[in-house]
Amino acid sequence: MKRTPDAYLRCALIAVAAVLLQISGLGSGRVLGAYVDLAPLIVAAVAIYAGAVPGAAMGFGTGLLLDLLVGQTLGASSLVLTAVGYGVGRYREVRDPAHGLMPIPVGAAATLAWVVAFAAVSFMLDIGATVSWLVLREMVATTLIGALLALPVFAIVRRVLRPVLLVDPVDLRRRRRAPRDAGPIGLRGLEV
Amino acid sequence: MYDSKVIRRRRAALAIFVVLSLGLLTVYFGESSGGALHSVQRGVQAVFSPLETGVNRALKPVRDLFGWVGDTFEAKGENERLRDEVAELRERLGESETARHDVRELRQIVGLHETEVFPQGTDPVGARVIVRSPTVWYATIGIDKGSDDGVRVDQPVIAAGGLVGKVTDVSGGSAQVTLITDASSAGAAQVMPNGATGIVHPVVGKPDDLLLDYISKGRRVTEGTTVVTSGFETEDGRRSIFPRGIPIGRVTKVDPDEAEQFQRVHITPLADIRGIDYVQVLTERGITTQAGIPAQ
Repeated sequence: MKRTPDAYLRCALIAVAAVLLQISGLGSGRVLGAYVDLAPLIVAAVAIYAGAVPGAAMGFGTGLLLDLLVGQTLGASSLVLTAVGYGVGRYREVRDPAHGLMPIPVGAAATLAWVVAFAAVSFMLDIGATVSWLVLREMVATTLIGALLALPVFAIVRRVLRPVLLVDPVDLRRRRRAPRDAGPIGLRGLEV
Repeated sequence: MYDSKVIRRRRAALAIFVVLSLGLLTVYFGESSGGALHSVQRGVQAVFSPLETGVNRALKPVRDLFGWVGDTFEAKGENERLRDEVAELRERLGESETARHDVRELRQIVGLHETEVFPQGTDPVGARVIVRSPTVWYATIGIDKGSDDGVRVDQPVIAAGGLVGKVTDVSGGSAQVTLITDASSAGAAQVMPNGATGIVHPVVGKPDDLLLDYISKGRRVTEGTTVVTSGFETEDGRRSIFPRGIPIGRVTKVDPDEAEQFQRVHITPLADIRGIDYVQVLTERGITTQAGIPAQ
């Protein structure tokens, strides 16, 4: 990702919009007994398109904003989302996933990592709660919802970030699959 | 691939963010609610508050949609739970209705003893019907009391309403009762209050109908009057197995036969012969103290 004010602005816009949507719009709506969680999805999306460091920065910023607006312990969400963003970014850098449905497993993994790690941090911070089947069921349900929402969320994030991306993985994939004009004997470059 | 400088920079960035997060956590926990980070948090919340309100209002339809989807899924689960609950409540209702029915029946039996005409000192033994004739004739029933409880052959058996039959077979813990609708049944009866006597016997295959025969045409019998056991005793010591005064039925129709010198009186049994659950075996003959019953 280009290190320009435009790029930072776009990332900030995504973070603010997602967090506002999260806490004001979708936070009170429950599907399958769980809440829709956009934060890990946008962090994972930025990380998958921009890399590990932008992903970690996006995670930190989004987490900080979430903590500030929700009024919870500052740094808890930042810590977890930083790890999520960095992890997804590293996955992209190492494996360079190119499949069209890649956002689904990535979104599910990011959401699962987020809910599990945040629960772990909350327990470590001595927030009174017990691990019950309800908590586990909610984690699974949140992960499933994350997987379902990953495709549209990743598409929107890509659309917003595309002008500031150095390399767009989707374009890269399309270029790899460009139609080949082959000659009569089936070898490229030997057209008649 | 990346060179070592890029790797170091990447790791440094991660370390910075992690340290910043941990620092925030530490400071936030360490300070009081009036501390700097708490103040910043309140300030940011105040700034974003109008935005949150706007987004909240704007997204209400979306939230409602999510809520509807969620409610639909939850409703499905709740539906199953409620079905189970309904099944359980139906079961309980069935038990309750059965208990009510039993109580009503037992009260009627007890009430029978309190009527003026019913013989006193019969020493009744309560029993539950455990075997019922499956045929339309309803000729016999089995009860869960036998000789161990003082039940003997030929003892009268009553149920809610009145007489239902007599004991015809006894074992230690059970007994067989031949109902008044059985073809072999017959008993001396008396129409109240005029005292006309006759023999009551069944119309086989019609458990709701009994016939009272040998009522002379001179005795006026009206519909709706009650027929009770007459409990006759002869001078040579023979006597009816039924004590006097047990209600049998109600007159439903009087059929004067021109060719005969007697009239045929149709009676509906007062006891619900087809729906008996509890009975009482009158183990003692008892005496009828009611003065209104004309003497034999």
